[in-house]
This record gives sequence, C-alpha cells and structure tokens, in this order.
Amino acid sequence: MKQSYHEASARKRLLGVLDPDSFVELLPPQARVTSPHLPALDLPVAFDDGVVVGAGALNGRRVLAASEEGEFMGGAVGEVHGAKLTGLLERAVAQKPDAVLLLLESGGVRLHEANAGLIAVSEIMRALLAARAAGVVVIALIGGTYGCFGGMGIVAKCCDVVIMSEEGRLGMSGPEVIETAHGVEEFDARDRALVWRTVGGKHRYLLGDADDLVEDDIAAFRAAAIRALDAARPPTLDNLLAEHAFLAQRLHLFGTCRDALDIWRALGLKTAESVALLDTAGFLEAAEKIRLRG
Amino acid sequence: MTAKPKNLTRDWGTQPANRIARLRRAATLFPGKEAPPEAIGRLLAAVIESGDRVCLEGNNQKQADFLAKALAALDPAVVHDLHMVQSVLALPEHLDIFERGIATKLDFSFSGPQGARLARLVGEGRIDIGSIHTYLELFARYFVDLTPRVALIVAEAADRAGNLYTGPNTEDTPAIVEATAFKSGIVVAQVNEVRDTLPRVDIPADWVDFFVHSPAPHYIEPLFTRDPAHISEIQVLMAMMVIKGIYAEYGVQRLNYGIGFDTAAVELLLPTYAADLGLRGKICKYWAINPHPTLIPAIESGFVESIHSFGSELGMEAYIAARPDVFFVGADGSMRSNRAFCQAAGHYACDLFIGSTLQIDLAGNSSTATLGRITGFGGAPNMGADARGRRHASPAWLKAGRESHPQDGGMPRGRKLVVQVVETYREHMEPAFVEKLDAWKLADTAHMPLPPVMIYGEDVTHVVTEEGIANLLACRDDDDREQAIRGVAGYTPVGLARDRRKVENLRDRGVIRRAEDLGIDKRRATRDLLAARSIKDLVRASGGLYDPPRRFRNW
Repeated sequence: MKQSYHEASARKRLLGVLDPDSFVELLPPQARVTSPHLPALDLPVAFDDGVVVGAGALNGRRVLAASEEGEFMGGAVGEVHGAKLTGLLERAVAQKPDAVLLLLESGGVRLHEANAGLIAVSEIMRALLAARAAGVVVIALIGGTYGCFGGMGIVAKCCDVVIMSEEGRLGMSGPEVIETAHGVEEFDARDRALVWRTVGGKHRYLLGDADDLVEDDIAAFRAAAIRALDAARPPTLDNLLAEHAFLAQRLHLFGTCRDALDIWRALGLKTAESVALLDTAGFLEAAEKIRLRG
Repeated sequence: MTAKPKNLTRDWGTQPANRIARLRRAATLFPGKEAPPEAIGRLLAAVIESGDRVCLEGNNQKQADFLAKALAALDPAVVHDLHMVQSVLALPEHLDIFERGIATKLDFSFSGPQGARLARLVGEGRIDIGSIHTYLELFARYFVDLTPRVALIVAEAADRAGNLYTGPNTEDTPAIVEATAFKSGIVVAQVNEVRDTLPRVDIPADWVDFFVHSPAPHYIEPLFTRDPAHISEIQVLMAMMVIKGIYAEYGVQRLNYGIGFDTAAVELLLPTYAADLGLRGKICKYWAINPHPTLIPAIESGFVESIHSFGSELGMEAYIAARPDVFFVGADGSMRSNRAFCQAAGHYACDLFIGSTLQIDLAGNSSTATLGRITGFGGAPNMGADARGRRHASPAWLKAGRESHPQDGGMPRGRKLVVQVVETYREHMEPAFVEKLDAWKLADTAHMPLPPVMIYGEDVTHVVTEEGIANLLACRDDDDREQAIRGVAGYTPVGLARDRRKVENLRDRGVIRRAEDLGIDKRRATRDLLAARSIKDLVRASGGLYDPPRRFRNW
C-alpha cells in the first residue's frame, strides 16, 4: 500500500525515507528545546520547535537528516528551528556523512520571531553551502502539504538536488503573500489550479528547478533520495557560472510568458492543458525530451 | 357528447373549462407554445389565477430559476394568495414569492439553505405552512389533495413541438407533470435550449402547454461531490467498522444512503479494505443512490452491479454514459434519473440505509433540526425506515428480522437495517448524543404538530461511532437500548453517564462491539487506506471521464 508523503507527519516521512530503525534523533522532543519567543506572545510551543533532526542510514549509507513539520506554524523557521538545521549542517561539515537529507515543509521565516528567524535562515544557507563545499551532497525533498516557500524556498535551491512530487510546491513568495502584496489581479491565491501550475512539482520539474519528480509515496521519495546520493554538484566557480548562464537563458526564453501554460506550450509540450491530469509516469515520459535541466 | 341527465345540475367539467380559459388568455400574447423570454411575466399572469396551487420545480439539484424569478416579479395586486407546493425551497426567490405577498401557503419537503429565513417568515406570520413532508409523501399528495393547477418546471431542452428532454437530471419532473397535466392543469417549462430534434423524449409535448428558452442555463448544484481530501482518519475507522461489522456480517447487497464524508469513506474503502476481506461480489452490489464521484473506485474495482439514481451529479455525465451496464442510461446514451422511483426503490428494494445526523437521543431518535431553522425532511425518513409493507425476502433482511424478533414461535418477520454513523462530537465540539433533541424546542417555537425527527429510534438498528457499534436489534428492553447508545457515545455527557457494568455486559453479549472486538487494527485506520485521496485521484480512477466542477479542482 502506498503511504502518502503529502499527508504524513514530519516524523513519519523521515522514518519512512531512512533505513528502518536507523534514525537517532538529536535534540528530541524530550529535550524540550522550545522557542523562547512564542510564550511572550501567548502562543503554544512545540517540543521540537517544528523540526526533527538527527542521524541515520539511507540504503546503508550514513546520512544526517532533518524533517520540518508543517502542522506546527506551517513549518515556519524560528530561532530554535533554524539553529537545529544550522547545527545539523555544521555537523555535516565536521563529520562528512554521505549526504544530508532536508525534508522541507515551510512557509519561510516565522514572522513572530522576526529578526531571529531571518538570521536563522541566512545561517542555514551559509552552513548548507559550507557542507557542499566540504563535499557533502545535500538533497531537498519537497512534497508536504504546506509547500516550501520564502527563505526555505531559497534554501531548497541551494541544495545539490531537489526531489519533488506533483503535490509539492516550491517558490519564493507564497501564493497568499503575492496576493496580499500585489493584489488578486496579479495572483489569485484561491485559484488552486493557478497555484499548482505556477509553483507545483510538475512545473518546477519542467523548468529544471526540480531534478526529480516522484509519486506522492514515501517509498518513491526514498528511492529518489537513494538515486541522488552520488549526485553532488560542488559549488565551484565553473558550476556557478553555468547555473547563472542557465537562468539567464531561461529568463530570455520565457520572461514574457504570463502563465505556466504559455511556458509549457513554448517548451513544445503538445498537450499542455492535460499536464495536470497525467500520472507521474506519463508525465515523466512527456517531459523527458523537452524539460529544462539546470 | 353524451346528453346530461336533466336532474343533475352540477357541471362536471369546470377544471377543463377553466384550463381552456387560461389557455385563451395566453393565446393573445404570442402564437404557439414557445414563449419569448420577455413575455414570461405576462404568460404567468395569464395562466395563474389568485388562490391557485402552484408547483415550482426545484429540488436540491436542478432549479427552475428563471421561472422562479418571473413568478416572484408578478404584481401581487393581480396574482396573490397562491398555495405553493414544491419539493425544495432552495433559492431566495422561493421565499421572495411569500415576502412580496404573491403566495401565502406552503407545502414542501426540504428547505436546506433557506431554513433560517423560512423560520423567520413563519414567525412573522407571512407563510402559512400546511405540512412538511418527505419527498414521497409530497409526490403522493400531488395525486390526492395537493394537485397543482399550474406547474412551472425545468428541462434541458425542448423541440419545436414542446417535447422535453430532461436528461440525467430528470429528477422530480415526471411526477409533477403527470399530476398536473392529467388534472387539467397548465404546464410551463423553462429550457436551456430549443433544438430541432431531441436526444430522447422524457416528457411528451402534449403534456406541456408552454416552454420558454431561459436566457441562462438553469442552475444545478453539485450537491453530492465530496472531496476525499477532507475525509478524516476517524471516518476511515468508522468505515472499517461499518464494512466488517455490518456489511459483511449481514451480507448487505442492496443499499441506499445519505451522502456525506462518513459514507464516502465507506465507498473508498471498498476497493481496498473490503476487497482485502474478500467481500467483492458479496456486498454492495445494487444501489439506489446519486451517481456521485467517490463511487468511481468501487465501480471500477468491480463491486457495483447496478445504480439507480434520484438525480445526477455535475461532472459525472461522460463517466455515467460510458458505464451503461451500471447506470440507467437511455438509448441516446445519457442517464435518466427519477426521484419518485428511486425513493420507492430506497424504501422497498434496499436492505440497508446508512446516514449521518446531527443529534441522537437515548432512544435512538435522530434529528437534523436546529433552533431557528426549518429545514424539512427530504427523503431520509422514507429510506431510513423499516418498510412494513415489504413482503419479499433477502438474507440480510431475514437475518436482521431474526435478531429483532425472538424465535419464540411468534410471527417471524424481516427487518431493514438502518444505520446511523456519527462521530461522538460534531464540529465546534457539539456532542452528537443528547438527552433531549433540539427538535422538541423547535416544534414548540415553530408550532409544529410533532418534533421534526428524521429517523425514529424504533427504526434504527445500529449506531456506529469511533467508539464502536451498538446493535439496537439485539437489545432486549429500553434500558439495554439506552445503555447501548451511551456505550458508544464516547466522552459526551451522555457517554460519560453510562452504567459501566451494564455496558461491559452488553459488550459481552455482542450488543456493543468495539473495533478490537471486530478484529480491526486501529493502526490501519489511516487515509492511506482510501482508494482515492483527492479529486484528482477520482478523475484518474475514471480514466479521465469524470469532469469535476471548477471549485473542486486544483488544476
């Protein structure tokens, strides 16, 4: 039976992706390391501050892993939440595991913690790039209910590999943020079709933002993570220049498109309207020849 | 003509004569049967007389909305004191007609969305309610003492002669038209289009006096579409108990139910959980139910032999047309529904009814009445009732009968299974189990002759909650029954007031069965067990044939 990654909790996802009984949690809920800011606002805390971090094995290989819980404040990054992620990535620099897995589900910075959250996100990025520079492959898995937005959207794009499901969403500003800032004419966050074809997994895969697209199934995410274990893209100058050239070319090709559908048609996807209904296998087949690769 | 006996002075043809007078008034407005849309007000004023009984077609799905607007816009100085007889009050215009003084009396069945306003107008004395009916009762009265003088109905299409195609959403139309047309009444239809030829004739032209091409297509509500994304794990657990503890136990093959998330969970476990239990071909083969999308996986996995429907469901048309072995599909390729026949089927030809409710009392009476709203009954009371006129037997009916009538040499009987499935707490933490139904107070404030009970306790055979199944058939007396209900009422005040020893005793006797008593592993009760977890899964299960309304899509 398939186990939905989309609907699972952070812990269930992490335990399902790693080898059975291999995970050892760092700063588990029993340690009660909670947000120092939320009680001041009369808000409830979570004993893990919404993120599970620790060490485990993936296909017998040694990995560090983190999993964000969208059900606690939308996975938003507060001071403790961010420090746990930063600490995990710094540990990777020191211990050189075979990979770091980041199971991301976050709306970005936890606004209640303001600057502490903002600083936390920049520290995560710094530590992440340090880990990659040390030769550790960092893999982002995105398929949770709350998507991956804001600062954590940037963190995802700092990884070597991004694995998504169709249900997953990845972006900078989330749909509601765009609507609030620029008006409903610019982006109608309640138009779920618009949201998914703009930030959903299939679109991200076609644009080269996601490297792999899998079924909404924990086992499928695990298999893709195993495939990605040796897909390191060290942050060398050559690699960075190539990525910049790719992004410039992408902007040149599609910068004037008003809708994802226009991009799909421009990519040469014959049945752009039916993309949403294709199952994963059918979609991967249709996308194989035409998708961009970053 | 035969000569009249001289000593009889009564004129036996006043109704046909009055009909001819109405038609003559209308004939001055435009030639033929097709009314120009801009003449609709004048047509209604010509054929409707003050004091008439008028049936305005509208049920919980399709609505004669153009005719409703036209009726509500008539001059109350000219047309007044109408007696409305209609299935459902769904549109604001249905009540505008009363507020504007065009109608004063009302006989109906259901008023869901207008329930609060209806209660207010009744309170102000603006509406005199005759009776609140079930659908079958109201249809029956169309042929007895509530025959319409004028019926304002709705169809998909008309041809030039006035034949009507009502298609998948045929629903109440045949019952209304037959009662009106054969008692010298006037039938006016609004249609979405006028075509030279129709796919098929659902209502023959000589039962239809006028038709009008409405400026916008009539409204249809996708009332029975449930997004599987909103099914909870508690509902999955209750569905497992229903399948293993009731469907499998009694071998229920013919069924009907109220569509909601609880029952959607049951449907979506058929291809997974029920199939694992080896129940395919043994349960849930014949259905009287609307063709709603969460049924698709059960149909595709081979559980379902046949489905007859009260109405249709928006977006299901192509899927239904592609499954004529299952649905009632005409030679033209589209389904025909019929609310009256399907209600009769639900009452007499089904072995089980399952539905949810808002409140259940200690005797098992259930009600959806809430204070300040008059919502009526719809069809549930007829289908959720033992059919005492039933004489044909089936294994499920006989087994339920044996349980309810002790084998002491008395008259053996059969029994319909009537199941109520509820979470112990509803939304907003309102307990589903209460000592006294709100229906009592509502009856008092709204001057109803009886508390509006949807399903009487004596008809209920099983109550299912997340805490277990209470088999009321196996209760020996009222005290057993009360404790059986308390015993599955969880942490509600009713549940906490249980007699614990008695409840354990009932459990030993098998009157109360918990998930573990049924061999159900609660850890398996996850959403992963659902055959579809989203609307998109349903579209895929249908091979792309199901075309969900926009509001249910994320693509």
